[in-house]
Amino acid sequence: MSKLKVLHMYADMLDLYGDSGNMEILEYRCKMRGIECDVEKYSIDSKMPDFSSYDLIYIGGGADLEQQHISTDLQKCRKGIESAYKKGVFLFLICGGYQLMGKYYKDADGNKIKGLGLFDYYTVAEPDRRKRCIGNIIIRTDFMGKSVDIVGFENHGGQTKGVKTPLGDVLCGHGNCTKSQHEGYFEKNVIATYMHGPCLAKNPEISDYIIEYCINRNTENKVKLLKLDDTLEKQCRQVMIDRLIKK
Amino acid sequence: MNKLLVIIGKIIIKILHLFKRNAGNLPGIILWHLTGGKCCRMFKIDCPIIAVTGTNGKTSVTNCIAQLFEQNGKKIIINKEGNNLDTGICSLLLRHCSISGKVDADYLILETDESHVPVVYSQQKLETLVVLNFFRDQLDRNGEMETLIQKINHFCKTFEGNLVLNGDDPNTARLGRANPDNKNVRYFHAEPYKFATEKIFEASEGRFCPFCGQPLEYDYYQYSHIGKFICRNCGFGDFIPFITASNIDLEKPVFTADGNKYSPKLNSIYNVYNMTAVAGIGKLYNIDRNIINKVISRYTVKNGRMENFMLGDRKTTLNLAKNPVGANMTLRVMNEMQGEKELLFVLNDNVADGLDVSWIWDINFSIFRNVTRVVTSGTRAYDIAVRIKCSGYDASDIVVKPDLDEAVEELARTDGRKFVIANYTAVQSTRNALKRYISKHGGKNE
Repeated sequence: MSKLKVLHMYADMLDLYGDSGNMEILEYRCKMRGIECDVEKYSIDSKMPDFSSYDLIYIGGGADLEQQHISTDLQKCRKGIESAYKKGVFLFLICGGYQLMGKYYKDADGNKIKGLGLFDYYTVAEPDRRKRCIGNIIIRTDFMGKSVDIVGFENHGGQTKGVKTPLGDVLCGHGNCTKSQHEGYFEKNVIATYMHGPCLAKNPEISDYIIEYCINRNTENKVKLLKLDDTLEKQCRQVMIDRLIKK
Repeated sequence: MNKLLVIIGKIIIKILHLFKRNAGNLPGIILWHLTGGKCCRMFKIDCPIIAVTGTNGKTSVTNCIAQLFEQNGKKIIINKEGNNLDTGICSLLLRHCSISGKVDADYLILETDESHVPVVYSQQKLETLVVLNFFRDQLDRNGEMETLIQKINHFCKTFEGNLVLNGDDPNTARLGRANPDNKNVRYFHAEPYKFATEKIFEASEGRFCPFCGQPLEYDYYQYSHIGKFICRNCGFGDFIPFITASNIDLEKPVFTADGNKYSPKLNSIYNVYNMTAVAGIGKLYNIDRNIINKVISRYTVKNGRMENFMLGDRKTTLNLAKNPVGANMTLRVMNEMQGEKELLFVLNDNVADGLDVSWIWDINFSIFRNVTRVVTSGTRAYDIAVRIKCSGYDASDIVVKPDLDEAVEELARTDGRKFVIANYTAVQSTRNALKRYISKHGGKNE
């Protein structure tokens, strides 16, 4: 039986707009296919884990205050996370998690928080706290050669610049910066995005991309995932797309 | 100038009434534009103002405090319909003031939206501010919750009036340190009830001390992040309560506060907190204990807060849940009841709900006991269906009916006990749909 080993970092602090729901969804979609999914948690007081022993590292989003709290601790994990990433461990990063993997994050008060610098992008928060990128968002992206429109909810003051390989094109909403064309960051083993909602709720294609990548990453016999009945999820997404674009 | 504004406002109200329109907010919006955003400044108010704010319970507490004074023979003005923004308060005052803008009352009791406390009370002198709690709610309208707390905290820095705070919520208790010179800070507190836990049960905020960043330690959690907390590092949370609810027994329900025994009608721990705040105001204003007792023991609500209906012969309980805390409490109540039941969940995402519905993922649906079927409805009917499905509930037992009347028909199609949870803007339309069902098929609204 296949098994997914997941490390959920700072679940107690970085959990905005249902971000922890992403874990519940991954566990659910694994369980429906008889794939074991073991989610371990890491937070500030925890023992330093062996990051490379996981298939997936997940970090959600938080308010500025929480991000300041965890930033020092995250620096301690830098080497471990970097080496795991290089070995092909999947990184799934939402909002704050996304920002902190870049070069730096400068918050609305001008405090600069050092990022892990895994990727070239950097984020500067809009100094006017009222000017945030808020609302439902649709982006068009590609998963395994198939174009998919994915839907989430964004709420960020941060403007992320210098992204070379975005996750998708914005059809409706803001994306990486206010009224920008692109959203998120993508590599074979990295999905970073501002999409909350939680992100995976209406987008089973992302969940399945991650699960399929993880269970196949260390094996020659590539497994195709069992199809699930996603009628509810897809109707849910369609209702929002119809509301935002078609009507 | 003020007089002119008042006259304009009063004319607008007359016109709206002529067309049988509700004048709860629109006159204030027009005056807001005419005054450059200072629509509450034009009134002459000589009497004390008591404001109630917080995420949950504002309406209940405001109404009860108003009754304390009313029963005491005072003339009060209150925003009963919950028009709690600056524009709503302006509209209210326009209806109650003279042509010169003078407001004639003994007390103004005003439910005030969290983000509008600094707005309104920078324009009018506030005597007492009651802060009940801060939960994640309508985050996208207010930005992050921390920003919201900071706004009120900033206001409290120069506020010298009575500050009555929930001492068991770190998010509100911290306001007590905003102005060290304010000698009028008071905390209300509650001892643990039967279902208080040692560990946190639901999604929450405020895990860290806002002053020194150290983790907060809890003796117990009552619900969500409400409970007896302390910061071992800087002592935040170490206060002497002004009033304490003890001997809480929700089965009767009874509790004791300040030596008086109260028997409220509503049996939830959050009602105990609300009523303790009310008793605290009673104590602060030296109101006779018999009056306090009368108000607390009679207070009940008929606005979708644990409201009972009979759909034919099927008992149905409707509860408002505008955030995970409220929803989790309702699920607990539902679970504590014996036997099989069905749930209708109505979820809207109108502006007043906050456009975002991801808070439903902080509801702990895995605790479902004997829930045999779920019907979902509202503008985000599918979102709540997906959420419940992913908690492990069998998708074939979920019926999605975005149309509310169809949803109620679907719910009532089978026998047995029914529960309905509806979020903020959904609750009134759900009540109406339940009433339409009753007028068509029989039953009653208890």
